[in-house]
Amino acid sequence: MGHLILRVTIKTLFAPIILFALYVQFHGDYGPGGGFQAGVILASAFILHALGFGLDRCQRVIPPSWLPVGMALGVLIYAGTGVYTLLFGGNFLDYDVIQPDSHHHAGQHIGIIAVELGVGLAVAATMLQIYYAFAGREPEPMDDSW
Amino acid sequence: MYLTAGIAIIVAMALMLARAIVGPTVYDRVLAVNSFGTKTVLLLGVLGFLTGRPAFLDIALLYALINFIATIAILKFFRYGRLTGVMSDENPAREELR
Repeated sequence: MGHLILRVTIKTLFAPIILFALYVQFHGDYGPGGGFQAGVILASAFILHALGFGLDRCQRVIPPSWLPVGMALGVLIYAGTGVYTLLFGGNFLDYDVIQPDSHHHAGQHIGIIAVELGVGLAVAATMLQIYYAFAGREPEPMDDSW
Repeated sequence: MYLTAGIAIIVAMALMLARAIVGPTVYDRVLAVNSFGTKTVLLLGVLGFLTGRPAFLDIALLYALINFIATIAILKFFRYGRLTGVMSDENPAREELR
């Protein structure tokens, strides 16, 4: 086990990256960010861990079979929010019907948070899936190894 | 003051880009790209204060993070020939292929 400094750095950075992802997720209304960016940051934390400690250890925490579920669940949350508003008589993704009596547009905030949660989940799962597919490939034999 | 700092950073970025293009070995290029990323973070910070939008600091922080991960990924790929394995002192990719 070499590269001690790199491993310690990765272990130190892992939790703050996830915290930053949550910050971007929930602060998306007021600053730069949102579900897509938060999903990418969340996936990048696990990609960093997989780079430093090997793909197997990362796949033990998040098995590859979970990722398609995560992607589909994210899209389901997004589309489900839209259909939910349809059921209450609004347009697709018409958030105002979630809290119709509110003068402060609380329905808008609730709806956007739900939708962003779905986007974040789908994007994080997709990014991690791309990395698993990319990194799990067997290396090509070198030219002089035949 | 921020404008001067921004121009100085852009000049430094041009120098880094020249090193990345000219650089004789892959490590020169990786180092140049890494330094370019660091300068980009600085430029984002300066630009945020120049335009009065401190929210740019979030983007700068994120850029620093992605830059760090990308550098580790590139270095690991060139050292071991693949991204899968556990990093060790010897070179497992070449051992297996022998």
